Amino acid sequence: MSDVTLNAAAASPEAAPRAAPVTSTGTVAWLRANLFSSWINTAVSLALAYLLVRWTIGFIDWAFINAIWTVPMQGNVPQTQACRALEGSGACWAVIGEKHRFILFGTYPYEEHWRPLLVCALFIALYVVSAMRRFWSWVLIPIWVGTLTLIGVLMWGGVLGLSYVPQERWGGLPITLILSTFGLAFAFPLAVLVALGRRSKLPAIKTLCVLYVELVRGVPLISLLFMASVMFPLFLPEGMNIDKLLRAQVAITLFAGAYLAEVVRAGLQTLPRGQYEAAEALGLSYWHKTGLIILPQALRLVIPPLVNTFIGFFKDTSLVLIIGIFDLLTAGKTAIVEPAWQGFGIEVYVFVGAIYLVFCFAMSKYSQDLERDLNQHRRR
Amino acid sequence: MGDTIETEGRFASAMRADAPPAIVLQDVNKWFGALHVLRDINLTVATGERVVVCGPSGSGKSTMIRCINRLEQHQQGKIMVDGIELSDDLRSLDAIRREVGMVFQSFNLFPHLTVLENCTLAPIWVRRMPKKEAEELAMEYLERVRIPEQAKKYPGQLSGGQQQRVAIARALCMKPKIMLFDEPTSALDPEMIKEVLDTMVMLAETGMTMICVTHEMGFARQVADRVVFMDRGEIVESGEPEALFSDPKTDRLRLFLSQILRGH
Ligand SMILES: Nc1ncnc2c1ncn2[C@@H]1O[C@H](COP(=O)(O)OP(=O)(O)OP(=O)(O)O)[C@@H](O)[C@H]1O
Ligand SMILES: [Mg+2]
Repeated sequence: MSDVTLNAAAASPEAAPRAAPVTSTGTVAWLRANLFSSWINTAVSLALAYLLVRWTIGFIDWAFINAIWTVPMQGNVPQTQACRALEGSGACWAVIGEKHRFILFGTYPYEEHWRPLLVCALFIALYVVSAMRRFWSWVLIPIWVGTLTLIGVLMWGGVLGLSYVPQERWGGLPITLILSTFGLAFAFPLAVLVALGRRSKLPAIKTLCVLYVELVRGVPLISLLFMASVMFPLFLPEGMNIDKLLRAQVAITLFAGAYLAEVVRAGLQTLPRGQYEAAEALGLSYWHKTGLIILPQALRLVIPPLVNTFIGFFKDTSLVLIIGIFDLLTAGKTAIVEPAWQGFGIEVYVFVGAIYLVFCFAMSKYSQDLERDLNQHRRR
Repeated sequence: MGDTIETEGRFASAMRADAPPAIVLQDVNKWFGALHVLRDINLTVATGERVVVCGPSGSGKSTMIRCINRLEQHQQGKIMVDGIELSDDLRSLDAIRREVGMVFQSFNLFPHLTVLENCTLAPIWVRRMPKKEAEELAMEYLERVRIPEQAKKYPGQLSGGQQQRVAIARALCMKPKIMLFDEPTSALDPEMIKEVLDTMVMLAETGMTMICVTHEMGFARQVADRVVFMDRGEIVESGEPEALFSDPKTDRLRLFLSQILRGH
């Protein structure tokens, strides 16, 4: 079905075989055609341009021209009177300069901050390597296992002369990256299996998968996190205690898995039955058929909703604040609890928001490229 | 296991001793819900025989040949392919599917793989053939269906006739003993039908056992050893093409032939 629409879309440019007249190309022509083609278009374009210019100027004034970049210190207490005197007409970036290490790394021991910093760098390196198609093979598995182990060693310490840092003191960006990376790394294979299971001919497997998806999807993530942090320990034998972060991780993984499973299932459903039949007629086994024919096509079709869900979960990890885990956003909120910095939330949220934006935008951009490259066979 | 061998033995003695039949359908019945789509089908296809199946739309032709490689499951009766009885046993199913190639009306090529990859996939993964060998084999068959120059393209970049020839090459790469065709030319524009039929004629000349659902009467006359006419789930008539077409015994076949001829 989607084939038809895609082909139709691809065919339409071919419908105009002659080259466009020279007078209709170029910037001026483009502007005339797209922004000023009629008086109503012209009016809308001008109004929007006016607003855009005003807001841009206003933002530049606030963020750069009127902004205060540093404040004097008296002992340990920052003197923020100058910032308060601005009364919101300019940004007080001094709060970021003063608090950025707390926002990024939470209550992790100050002199050990190089460790979470290295962890973040390792995560980013891991993403970059995994994104490159020439590494798409079995080598990725040892790379991931190795990097994630190294990350664990760096965060916990206690070996190789690194001092031990209990999980309660971790915070900030590493927490966000840990929760989302581990979460999606486990949730995605889980989702594929559940999606396949929902289409299984075996009633037991099918029922199990349907139950899982419907139950997990039917409750808010917050309540799942609560259950993981409060109720889960009740079921464990006396004295046994699973790390709080791990419990949150499990809850997030299960939740993401249910959502991703539905996305994958949508992809499986769009494949015509002939693809299954052709694979079967060639004698391919179930797993060969699934791994070589069905999934490669189904997953390509759902790259946009898949990445949409990924991005959503990257941001949803911030909900762990309700069970007392210090992710990036919580660290940002806590940073401005100090009396001297109270009232400078906007600057902090802009800073934290920018970090989220960088990661999400990278995901989104990458998915567009991936979609274009992997669906080349659809173009003529 | 012993069971199969025994049935095979019993069976072989019932047939001509020299050539064991490639396919045997014995009192096969099948229902889709309440719809009785196959009624007491009896059909024996000898090794090397070429059978054309025709009949009006909805008469169960596709269902019958899809039962032979178990894309559909029959509910009553017995189907033997290459001496192996079709059952729920997965190992016998794998064995049969390796020996039976199928070509579909809508080609069903894998759009995300190149033409060459389409052809090498099953030899590599099912027959465990080394990649290089599989590619050489695929090129050999692509040359035989006369499209070696398209090997690196994706199916979506080919014409319908070319796609169907790739589908034939893909099935042949598994070196099947039997080929099933389900209306291989019905989805094609008239000018492409000939190139596919020529490929099939060429294949028939190699002595391949073929069952072919088609309404191409010219093709049936040229290559078929036998034409089977189906209607409403039954085999109504069967015989040599000339005899069947020129002298239909039943009204149903007469009606069908008149409609086909009017259509052409
Ligand atoms: N999966 C299915 N579920 C239910 N009914 C089916 C299914 N497949 C086929 N049928 C029905 O079974 C009957 C026989 O179908 P079949 O496809 O075998 O006919 P055919 O002779 O191949 O017809 P055509 O020339 O149109 O391809 C038809 O009435 C069809 O509607
Ligand atoms: Mg049919």
